[in-house]
Amino acid sequence: MDAIHLVHAPVGCGYYTWGTRRHLGDGYNWARPGVLENEANHRRHCYTTAMSEEDIIFGGTEKLKQALLEAFRINPGARGAIIYNTCSTALIGDDIEQVAREVSKEVGKPVFACASPGFCGVSQSKGHHEFNFQFYKWLLKYREEHPEVCLKEEEKTPYDVNIIGEYNIDWDEVVIVPLFEKLGLRILNVFTGNARLENLFKLPDASLSIVHCQRSATYIAELIKQGFKVPYLRVSLFGIEQTAKALRDVAAWFGEDKMRRRAEEIIEEEITAIKPAVEWYRERLSGKKVAIYVGAPRVWHWPKVMEELGMEVVACMTTFGHREDYEKIIHRVKPGTLIIDNPNEFEIEEMIETCKPDLFLTGLKEKYLVRKFGVPTLNSHSYEKGPYAGFRGFVNFARDIYQAVAAPVWQLARQDF
Amino acid sequence: MINQVKEIPIEGITYKNLKIEKKPLSREYVPPPPELVPRANRAVCIDPGHTCMPLGAMWATLGVHRAIPFVQGAQGCTTYVRYTFSRIFREPATIANASFHEDAAVFGGRKNLVRGVRNLVCRYQPELIAIVTTCSSEVIGDDIHSFLDEALDLMEEELGPEVREAVKFVVVNTPSFAGSHVEGYNRASREFLKALARKSGETREHVCLIPGMMTPGDIRELKHMMELMGVSHRVLFDISETLDCPLVGMPDRIPYYPPGGTPVEAFVRAGDAQAIFALSPDAGSAGAQWLDRRYKVPAYVMTMPIGVRNTDHFLRNVAEATDRPIPDRLRWERGIFLDAMADTLHYTMMKKVALCGDPDFVAAATWFVCELGMVPTYILVGTKSRRAEEDIRQACEEYGHQPVVMNGGDQFEWEYALKNDIPDVILGHSRCVNIAREIQVPLVRFGFPVYDRVGYQREPIVGYRGGERFLARIVNAILDHQYPDDRTHQ
Ligand code: SF4
Ligand code: SF4
Repeated sequence: MDAIHLVHAPVGCGYYTWGTRRHLGDGYNWARPGVLENEANHRRHCYTTAMSEEDIIFGGTEKLKQALLEAFRINPGARGAIIYNTCSTALIGDDIEQVAREVSKEVGKPVFACASPGFCGVSQSKGHHEFNFQFYKWLLKYREEHPEVCLKEEEKTPYDVNIIGEYNIDWDEVVIVPLFEKLGLRILNVFTGNARLENLFKLPDASLSIVHCQRSATYIAELIKQGFKVPYLRVSLFGIEQTAKALRDVAAWFGEDKMRRRAEEIIEEEITAIKPAVEWYRERLSGKKVAIYVGAPRVWHWPKVMEELGMEVVACMTTFGHREDYEKIIHRVKPGTLIIDNPNEFEIEEMIETCKPDLFLTGLKEKYLVRKFGVPTLNSHSYEKGPYAGFRGFVNFARDIYQAVAAPVWQLARQDF
Repeated sequence: MINQVKEIPIEGITYKNLKIEKKPLSREYVPPPPELVPRANRAVCIDPGHTCMPLGAMWATLGVHRAIPFVQGAQGCTTYVRYTFSRIFREPATIANASFHEDAAVFGGRKNLVRGVRNLVCRYQPELIAIVTTCSSEVIGDDIHSFLDEALDLMEEELGPEVREAVKFVVVNTPSFAGSHVEGYNRASREFLKALARKSGETREHVCLIPGMMTPGDIRELKHMMELMGVSHRVLFDISETLDCPLVGMPDRIPYYPPGGTPVEAFVRAGDAQAIFALSPDAGSAGAQWLDRRYKVPAYVMTMPIGVRNTDHFLRNVAEATDRPIPDRLRWERGIFLDAMADTLHYTMMKKVALCGDPDFVAAATWFVCELGMVPTYILVGTKSRRAEEDIRQACEEYGHQPVVMNGGDQFEWEYALKNDIPDVILGHSRCVNIAREIQVPLVRFGFPVYDRVGYQREPIVGYRGGERFLARIVNAILDHQYPDDRTHQ
């Protein structure tokens, strides 16, 4: 978040990633004296080499290096940089790692080269995977060369933890982090939502990693476990039961009675706070049928959540699910639920016809198609009005679901005219 | 802190309850080194003023009845465009993709195309498929035409010879390193006509219009004017009923296709047209001029009909090409527009305005703001265009202004100028929101892309009626901002 993200590619690859998803942050640069920019640093600007035809023919490493040096001069607040190559720059064989090393030396700030061209791998998931491995390797090396970035022995506490696989969509982080802090933990890192580079270097210095999105980031938790003996716990932070279980599991891992009691207190306090609201929604949503289509992990995080609202899951689809994900989904839904891997629009339409869901949890691209069929939708990638995670986010989630289902428009659309 | 909220109301928690604090990353504002401000002096592009070619070609294709773009490249290149369309139109858009993986990078995209096209034809029964290339397929050097032949042979074997008649194919080469989305549309306009247009020998009384990247609302306004003129017309790449469709409940036929779009037949007949109008010179002139060269259909390439002069110019040319008079009804609309301009002149005169967007939009809007007595200060032409620059120069010469024109610059450069010489109002797209808030100036949205307004895509800015609406938006934005300094009632 406090880094420059420079996309080494023709203009589109960078343009499209510019401030799109709602993964937010609170680090801002100055727009003018006394006025902060209107959006957090990592979303406000898009840095790219915007490769031209000539660059493609003659190679673009020189240009990349110059571009990165300029970017550092223009954005002096940046603590480092991440440079990405993409399909075309990978195809022409530009060595971005070399550039990263050179520039890092020159400006004295960390630069990470991330090779993640869209064509390598089956989906977005492979991009996550690649990023995890490369990032970890780079992290180790950087720590070795710059030991000052590690957490000092005397500053370490046994309660230092990482939260991994949490992208701070619509400020989920603000409901999640305090829950763990109240347990008495110190959160070193959220990997990566609203993350600071200096903290990321301390990933291996924690005593425990709590893994949320388990498809995109278990890899790095696993690597840290292997390399530094930092164990990890998988949790789900959506809905009441799962969030409560997460707190209990973490407290149990530390094995201290005091923390266990604290967990129960937090759970009780939080549930009391949200209970009237949740009940209000549950009453109105009971018995509704829902179809879920998102990236893999949420598809198995959410059936439980839907149950808590009295809703019935009739179909599950994922964009980048692996076998393991499907096993988990099957485990969590009722028999007879329709399950489809990476469906195309055609299959989505067929699903709607056969399952007739009352609600479709899906992303931006599909939601307009589904609405044409008179089925309410909820943007489940970036959310409608989040945060949705944790206890308090659950009320927002329920509210947005209710708003989608209860809007009079669907009734009006069904009337004969 | 959020945990102090004891009981959560059923409305949930809002950003406001979250109380998130902005944290500055550095102690104070440091201006960029002056020599790095102009785009031309930098290797790094910051906040590009345009996106990549395939988007324009896909936009055009989605304006054709039962047509699907097939993107020869990796998934990202398609997914992002679909996001962009969803944001702008809030409509579904079917776009197929060859999903390149490593083997495609090594062996080329033959298999991907042959299989992909076959599946598309079987499942979706489209009437037309536009193969849109990407940077990767161009770098790999895919020979699309030969792949396509192979796909057709295969399908003929499997589905019978009818398939050659039932589905039309157009290939649009759109490597992004060679141009922007505007050029992508432009190329598509040429390739569609090249692949489909014929001359039957008998001239038919009709004109063709290539709108460029106008909104559905704009296209409907064009049709409205044509109807008042009594001119039989065909809008090519007509997204007005594909990317703006009613919610009807469960359609009885799947897969879902929007009801509208230009029929393939209209492209075929374009060779017989009386005239062809390219109403966005940078996005569509290639098609119009090709038709002129090949079939001698007179091509009129003109500034987008935004404002009085440009609309007059358009209608006069239509009248000339079709030999029809301009009806009183259009004169009436023009009069209403002028009336609105007269009523609001105290709000618009001498206001400094900065503009930003695609060349066709910005050039036309420059004429319009000049007509309103506004003073254009900094104009960012998002895609370098000689024609747009010339158009802007002409307008400013006529009205005596000397704006700084950043032709093909990036937003960083333009924003820096705005910070140091704050205008009264900005005309630009949704990417200008940040700068507008930072310098606290109202932003009137127009052009590509506008994704943070609802209904924008339905409200025209072209023609006299569209001009009146556009004017109202500009004035209301100024009023909202400066009220009660400006007197709204007397
Ligand atoms: S710039 Fe090229 S590679 Fe990038 S999204 Fe556009 S077409 Fe794809
Ligand atoms: S798939 Fe490759 S070329 Fe396309 S947007 Fe992703 S990285 Fe860029």
